[in-house]
Amino acid sequence: MGTALLRLQGVVAGYGRGDVLHGVDLTVEEGAVTCLIGPNGAGKSTVLKTVSGLLRPKRGRITLLGRDIGGLSPQAVLSHGVVHVPQERSLFPSMSVWDNVLMGGFVLRDRAVVRRRIEHIADRFPIVANRRHERAGSLSGGEQKIVEIARALMLDPVLVLMDEPSTGLDPRARQLVFHTITEINEGGRTVLLVEQNARSGLAIAHHGAVMESGRVRLEGTGSSLLADPEVARLFLGAAPANRG
Amino acid sequence: MHLLVQAVILGILIGGVYALMASGLTLVFGIMRVINVAQGAMVILGAYLSYTLFSSVGIDPLLSILLIAPVMFALGVGIHRVFIRALRAESGEEMSLLVTWATALAIEGVLSVTYTTNLRSTIPGYAQRSWIILGYRVAEVRVFGFVISVVILSALSLLLARTRFGRSVRATVQNPTSAKLLGVDADRVSALGFGIGISTAAAAGAVFGIIYPFNPGSHYDLISRLLSIVVLGGLGSLGGAVVAALLLGVGESVVAVMISPSWSSFVFFIVLIVILVFRPQGLFGVRERGAL
Ligand SMILES: Nc1ncnc2c1ncn2[C@@H]1O[C@H](COP(=O)(O)OP(=O)(O)OP(=O)(O)O)[C@@H](O)[C@H]1O
Ligand SMILES: [Mg+2]
Repeated sequence: MGTALLRLQGVVAGYGRGDVLHGVDLTVEEGAVTCLIGPNGAGKSTVLKTVSGLLRPKRGRITLLGRDIGGLSPQAVLSHGVVHVPQERSLFPSMSVWDNVLMGGFVLRDRAVVRRRIEHIADRFPIVANRRHERAGSLSGGEQKIVEIARALMLDPVLVLMDEPSTGLDPRARQLVFHTITEINEGGRTVLLVEQNARSGLAIAHHGAVMESGRVRLEGTGSSLLADPEVARLFLGAAPANRG
Repeated sequence: MHLLVQAVILGILIGGVYALMASGLTLVFGIMRVINVAQGAMVILGAYLSYTLFSSVGIDPLLSILLIAPVMFALGVGIHRVFIRALRAESGEEMSLLVTWATALAIEGVLSVTYTTNLRSTIPGYAQRSWIILGYRVAEVRVFGFVISVVILSALSLLLARTRFGRSVRATVQNPTSAKLLGVDADRVSALGFGIGISTAAAAGAVFGIIYPFNPGSHYDLISRLLSIVVLGGLGSLGGAVVAALLLGVGESVVAVMISPSWSSFVFFIVLIVILVFRPQGLFGVRERGAL
């Protein structure tokens, strides 16, 4: 086991009056892919929003390598190297693909750094180079997701929060997305992945956590959760654990 | 035929000024989903400021824009700070309609007390002069007003297209959550956007005050026209607002000449109703966010 990069302790958060998270405890190991699964409405997206600063925790602690980041603005969280690729489509539809990726470096003041990073990203993600002048809104869902992920790398993040990146994609696009996530992780970045498709999420994860009704119920290695009969019954369907 | 062409020319010239007035309205809507119904009042306030600078200090009303625009920008940022921002967190976008309407009435009230409700006109030396171009008579002020509007609108679109601030505005218009997640300060964008929207309105007001007589109540008629324009152009679309302003400016002017001046403002309302019924997203608006 490595060191904990991100740690949530007793986090309570929600929208307006009601609470959605009722004391979330979660540890994300440095360098690993951690996959968060759970039924609709369990609060998975809310966890990510609270970490990235879209929501403020009402109680509890959120630390990154021991430093408190709970309640910081999204800008401040970004400056700690934490980026969030949300569940909804997040490209700017009327901007070009290139400008979208440039926006990923919005908080960077040094233009030379921005230029170097985007060239690097264009090398790594052919779609960014080949479709640079196209309106982002004209790309397919899968293509958009890849560009979103590419954009998130502009800040050279230590932690990438990714919310259901494969949902709504066809099998080929989904495979590419999972492959990209694995690559990002092998490049040394920590990933906290929320997945609707628990089987494929856990399959690429080192570590998994199961959420239900605003709490983390179970934690374990990806493979142990896949093998857990309770998890299988609740989230994976009754079928034996073959790759989905 | 001569009359018709004359009317079209005048319509385009005034349409340019309408476009400047409407640009701020559509920009503010795009950024924060607030329909600033005080936009007409801001135009009239600009007209009075320029009137006063001209009649008491002798500053040319068109040059006075250089003074009025920064002052009104600051006023806009202030209004956003004090009223709009506080409200948005609490009760959302519906309340902001009431707040901006209250702002319009407050401005009207202050202007009525200060200037009475008599009609005023700003009349610089060139107000009565006109050029004859290819046989058509065009008032100089209308040409100046049009040119100034085009210059300001071009500057605005360059600002949006080329600068870091402009990118943050476009990003916020197209996907506010995503913009926040990339480090755009939504509050700052809204405040500056509101300031820009109001200062462009006031700049247009300086031109308006030379072309038409006005009093504190003139904003009712004006906001109705501006709303028709931004709805026709598609709320949030700057290019749409410009095209719609030109179309409606020409429509108004042609109806005034061909039918009767008393029918001309009717053009706006007919267009507003037809658009709301048949194409609520406007000519260029899209159903989803992302027109700018
Ligand atoms: N913007 C919002 N305002 C109010 N309530 C919300 C908002 N977003 C989510 N909720 C509520 O919070 C709860 C948890 O939502 P959340 O989006 O975190 O669930 P999730 O686990 O991500 O679900 P899914 O798998 O459907 O994405 C739900 O009951 C939802 O209705
Ligand atoms: Mg979710």
